[in-house]
Amino acid sequence: MTGTITVMRREYASYFRTAAGWVVMALFLVLAGAVFRYFVLQPGQPASMRPFFAMTWGVLLFLAPAISMKTFSEELRTGTIEPLLTAPVSETGVVVGKYLAAVLYLCTMLAPTLVYAAVLSGLSAPDYGAMVAGYLGVLLLGMLYLAAGVLASAATQSQPLAFLGPLFGFLALEVLRSVAVSRFPRWAADVVLAVAPGLRIQDFAKGVIDTRHVVFFLAGTAWFLAATTLLVQARRWR
Amino acid sequence: MIQARNVSKSYARFTALRGVSFDVPSGQVVGLLGPNGAGKTTTIRIVTGFFPPTGGNVSVCGFDTVEQSIHARRSIGYLPEAAPLYPEMSVEGYLDYRGRLMQMDRAARLRGAGRCMDRCHLRDVAGKRIGQLSKGYKQRVGLAAAMLHNPQVLVLDEPVSGLDPAQIRETRKLMRELASDHTVLVSSHILPEVELTCDRVIIMARGRVRADGTPSELVGRMSSEAPYLIEVRKRTGVSGAQPAVVFGGVPGVAAVRRETIPEEGEGGANQFWERWAVVPQPRAGDLRETLARAAGESALVVRELHREGATLEQLFLRLIEEDDGGATAAAPSGEGPSR
Repeated sequence: MTGTITVMRREYASYFRTAAGWVVMALFLVLAGAVFRYFVLQPGQPASMRPFFAMTWGVLLFLAPAISMKTFSEELRTGTIEPLLTAPVSETGVVVGKYLAAVLYLCTMLAPTLVYAAVLSGLSAPDYGAMVAGYLGVLLLGMLYLAAGVLASAATQSQPLAFLGPLFGFLALEVLRSVAVSRFPRWAADVVLAVAPGLRIQDFAKGVIDTRHVVFFLAGTAWFLAATTLLVQARRWR
Repeated sequence: MIQARNVSKSYARFTALRGVSFDVPSGQVVGLLGPNGAGKTTTIRIVTGFFPPTGGNVSVCGFDTVEQSIHARRSIGYLPEAAPLYPEMSVEGYLDYRGRLMQMDRAARLRGAGRCMDRCHLRDVAGKRIGQLSKGYKQRVGLAAAMLHNPQVLVLDEPVSGLDPAQIRETRKLMRELASDHTVLVSSHILPEVELTCDRVIIMARGRVRADGTPSELVGRMSSEAPYLIEVRKRTGVSGAQPAVVFGGVPGVAAVRRETIPEEGEGGANQFWERWAVVPQPRAGDLRETLARAAGESALVVRELHREGATLEQLFLRLIEEDDGGATAAAPSGEGPSR
């Protein structure tokens, strides 16, 4: 556990020791601010953060792999993975530590947007349930995307590949989802609809927290993390 | 302290190690010497638990590096080749991080970092970012991180690679100092390095241990087979004894061959002389007197008789050449560069 926390602390701090970490955060907050100003904070509009959440879910598709791409790829490329994996820390500890750091960075990035919620409550009476559901949706979706990104990062030394892999993977899944019902046989459409996160997230936007969806996101995250651990272990045995 | 038994490592298309066995007793500095691709780094990575062997086993301080990997790793301080570090971290930040990874408490981390920074002369760059340091400093940071938790065993992969002569001298001195309270396994392809710093040398080639002993033992083994070089005046016409026959008849001689005298004689002085290399049988003892007497009895005019002093370099080169020859004859296809 100590090892996991140590890895997490170093990894989290590393996001703020490079310009990229600050730039990604700044770009997201500028975009979020613009969406809030021009789509939420409009006279006559309902006091809802739905436009902000819709934007965030779309942006997460790009943002999450940008956060996770360096977790393992960078260590594999520079060779720092060697002193790390010869320290008395298990592979699971290393994977979980790096993953938690990425989630923590995402949370840090989202934290300033709580100001929008505060502004909205000052001006009007928003539906707090929908707000909580929206943030939970962002967090769960981000956790899933980040876990997939960490797996991609552990699979390659190339950060561009670790970025593009999950991005195009999930993008392809969403494209397939949009055509599945009309073009695919029933069973194939069912599979695509079951694994594509895009459809499930829409319920959160409506303020509905469906435990099936929560379980789906958590199970998907756990699956990607387990696969990453196996991949890191397999690298040793190759 | 380190025991390797019949260790092998195979990758998809080549075999990097074949039945490597050695022991590193407590308090010794042992050098793994070999050309690039000999299997040194693979051996070191197996010893440090970075990856497991395909066959055989390694134990460090009594812990199997696969079965009890975490315990074994705790006993080792490891400096990988080229000292990979996080460039965005400061020196003290990195040492603190390594201390946490080694599960040291705060007081131990501070004590350890102070001791290692003093020993590796890092005090003046303690607050600097690692990415801003020279290669020599980075190497020292890696070394400081390896010895931070005062491990029983230090494993150093090519610790002086890329350093300037002054840094090499300093690192060498530090390694000798470390030997007083650590067991050190150091790999290098630079022979004088190993000869100067190590109590024992393990010579590797093509994934096998080819020689194992102290430098003087290895040189002694080589010396017993070093040839005698004898320069005699050339015969005029067909008269006079044939040196090959005279020296070949001396008891204890295995072979006699003619060699070329380097062109260094003034005014063509060498044209009247020829050089013979007399190869002794193993454990034949000193044959200089017998050879001189045989030459005298056969009226051969001798201007020089000496035995070349063997060096570790000669042994190393001979083993590598033998191995290359053997490999050419016997190596299967699919033999590739090892890691």
